Amino acid sequence: MLNKLKNTVLDSQIKKSIFRVGIPNTDRKRVLIVLGNVFLHLHPTKVRTSGVKLRYTWCAGGLSFFLFLVLTLTGVLLMFYYRPTVEGAYVDMLDIRSQVPFGIMRELHRWSAHAMVIMVMVHMFRVFMTGSYKPPREFNWAIGVILLVLTFLLSFTGYLLPWDQLAIWAITVGSNMAKATPLMGAGGPFADFLQIGGVPLVHPGDDARFMLIGAKELGGTTLLRFYVLHCVGIPLIAAVLMAVHFWRIRKDGGISGPL
Amino acid sequence: MEHAAAGHGVLFEAFKEVANILATPWLSFSLTTIGLLLMLRFRRYVFNWWIGILAIAIESGVIIWGMKDPNFSLIVGKPDNVPITAMLFISTFVLWLAMTQAVNNDRRVEQKLPPDEKETSNQKTWVWPDLLYIEFIALIICSIVLILWAIYLRAPLEQPANPAATPNPSKAPWYFLGLQEMLVYYDPWYAGVVLPSIIVVGLMAIPYIDTNPKGGGYFTFAERKFSIGIFLFGYLALWVFMIITGTFLRGPGWNFFGPFEYWDPHKIVALNNVNLSDYVWVKWFQWIYQKTHIEWFNQGLPQVRNAIPQLLPPDPTSIRLFLVEVGHAIKREFAGILFLAFYFLALPGILAKTILKKFYEQLDLARYSVLVMLFLTMFTLPLKMVLRWTMTLKYFVDTPWIKF
Amino acid sequence: MAELKFVGADKPQLGQPLSPREEAVRRLKAKGFLDPAGQPMPRRQFLVSLALAWATFAAALGGGLTALFAFMVPRVDFTRVDVFKVGPPTNFAPNTVDESFKAAHRMWVVNHDSRIFAIQSVCTHLGCTPNWMDGERKFKCPCHGSGYTIDGINFEGPAPFPMRRYEVTLADDGQIVVNEGRLFFWEKGEFDDPRAFVAV
Repeated sequence: MLNKLKNTVLDSQIKKSIFRVGIPNTDRKRVLIVLGNVFLHLHPTKVRTSGVKLRYTWCAGGLSFFLFLVLTLTGVLLMFYYRPTVEGAYVDMLDIRSQVPFGIMRELHRWSAHAMVIMVMVHMFRVFMTGSYKPPREFNWAIGVILLVLTFLLSFTGYLLPWDQLAIWAITVGSNMAKATPLMGAGGPFADFLQIGGVPLVHPGDDARFMLIGAKELGGTTLLRFYVLHCVGIPLIAAVLMAVHFWRIRKDGGISGPL
Repeated sequence: MEHAAAGHGVLFEAFKEVANILATPWLSFSLTTIGLLLMLRFRRYVFNWWIGILAIAIESGVIIWGMKDPNFSLIVGKPDNVPITAMLFISTFVLWLAMTQAVNNDRRVEQKLPPDEKETSNQKTWVWPDLLYIEFIALIICSIVLILWAIYLRAPLEQPANPAATPNPSKAPWYFLGLQEMLVYYDPWYAGVVLPSIIVVGLMAIPYIDTNPKGGGYFTFAERKFSIGIFLFGYLALWVFMIITGTFLRGPGWNFFGPFEYWDPHKIVALNNVNLSDYVWVKWFQWIYQKTHIEWFNQGLPQVRNAIPQLLPPDPTSIRLFLVEVGHAIKREFAGILFLAFYFLALPGILAKTILKKFYEQLDLARYSVLVMLFLTMFTLPLKMVLRWTMTLKYFVDTPWIKF
Repeated sequence: MAELKFVGADKPQLGQPLSPREEAVRRLKAKGFLDPAGQPMPRRQFLVSLALAWATFAAALGGGLTALFAFMVPRVDFTRVDVFKVGPPTNFAPNTVDESFKAAHRMWVVNHDSRIFAIQSVCTHLGCTPNWMDGERKFKCPCHGSGYTIDGINFEGPAPFPMRRYEVTLADDGQIVVNEGRLFFWEKGEFDDPRAFVAV
């Protein structure tokens, strides 16, 4: 009876439509299961044996990606409760902590962000120390450097969102650096030289900092801008570059190992 | 608020005192740099199991013992500082992990064996299940760590934002504290904009400059001494060290505090920084005047006014005024200008004949130029740091238009 | 087999197979790179076309980027700019820093050297709010340790300039009026401007 039920389930059209390949107990099936699944297809069907040894790779790149996924998930959940306004942001932080069941979502998000920054740095360290940027992997290293910068920017834009003292002063310092951009920031070297008949072209109301924070002083516009960059802008760019990064790993000779 | 440390014993007091002294910027930076050099020089004896365990044990010991001190535990125990404490261990561990394998591979290469990785790099392994189960376990461990971390440590939330009151001290996110530390030594346009851009571009340029065909895809030190040495200096001394300084040792007023020192917002620190031109015109020329009584040396610091030329439409008067002031600025800052010209124009040539000779001969001119410029730009930071600590130097060149 | 339909000049001549060279010539003619007589496009014309094509592409790209940047800078900035009274000059004792307007307006009123002026509480280094340390007689910025004397002149730490001052005028009722809309810069030599201080 039980056996019959088991066979019915395992042989059902539903099961077979989802899992094309049975239990991967032959080499053929091991190939098919990786090729047939869009997520596993990130990997080739076989990799260098040295590539799966933890002491060579430290799994740092994989964990960075995993942390990115965790951050996406927890970030989307936080978006249900968070309002990017001067009045709402701080209150919502308190509510997420005390009024929402499983009130550790913000903690998960913040600590994952810290962990991701560390993991990306460790990954870069490992790649350098094994010389894995050498030909033919030069271009992928460059992509990786941009991804490192994007990781910093993601974390930095997220830092403002709680709208507490920690947030605004970190962003004050950060955004004032934009003001010092040569030629493009109102306080930067040679910005005064850009003027037509005494009318300045670069001034606090129209410079790199203004573009970043949307006003002359940090405020609601800044919060909204950073929110959009944090939740949509930078993650999109990062996701596209990650796709390139992963694809090039395969095309440039597979997971790190002597070529 | 004197936190009486009574009852902890003389040994603990001595330990705190020594730690506070060792943490002084010039001393800790020198120690880090020298330590790094010694470590690489004696890598065969340093990178083994015993020293690795000992290093982690000493680090844990210092932190655990130090937690008895209220000032120390206050800083280290801050939730946002936990990742940095973790990074201290992780940096030590990954350095050890990488260098141990590098030393091992170098030994194998000496014995005419292929590097360790080569043994298995020609074999293939099934992704399903061999790679996937490693990934699966890594994900589970990572998730557990994150969940426990999230349960036991609350994410920091301070007072609501208030533009009129800056917390003292006020810090950037921890991974930018290296940047914030650079801002102490250079103006924002350089430390905040130009230098980070150069760092990013420089990192991206590494594979195109490093033409050494050896050491691709496996741990090694002997085959890539220069590139790894420079990278470790940049990574450990100019990045990790600066983050740790910025996090643990910078207190109110961005003043420097030892790890066991009370963060006194009224600590008096003389930060009277002096420009190179002040040294030249006020100090050194005065000294020459005292000796020689040549009147020219007694003129004091020349004045430079901030003249802005009107370029569009061109206004000859304002442009002439501007050029006159540029002349004054060149006169006042001649020492700094000569120094920078020497540093960025003459040094590449000198280095090409001396310590970078090998690279000058191996690389084409474009690659060598990029390499030497990145190299010199990187060393502007320790250069200015050392000069700030030793002679409170503020600017090499201080003009109204640009300061460096 | 369904008959294939070709449209326009690209239509091949059915029935007479072309050699690879003839086929190439036919395609180039169809695209306009060779004239009907089979002569190539003059070099100058080719280069001009190429330059025009690239210029159009660059212009489109540049225009798009300019539009993107322009979009990010709104026409109106709603940052509040206040003009307000702080009281008569007698309220401010010589050589003191009045901190009572810092919370609301982010500025100090300082009476120093027979002049009363309004210092904007913004560090010229990276925009933090310095604190007045009465014991040490200096402003000290918590972010990077810049120090200023009582008249807002930088003397220590990384700050490149003295702090900015607001316009101050005397109203008809004898009170000092501070105008946040006008800033005075030391490096432009504006501190001696009569609107930058009220003499006492």
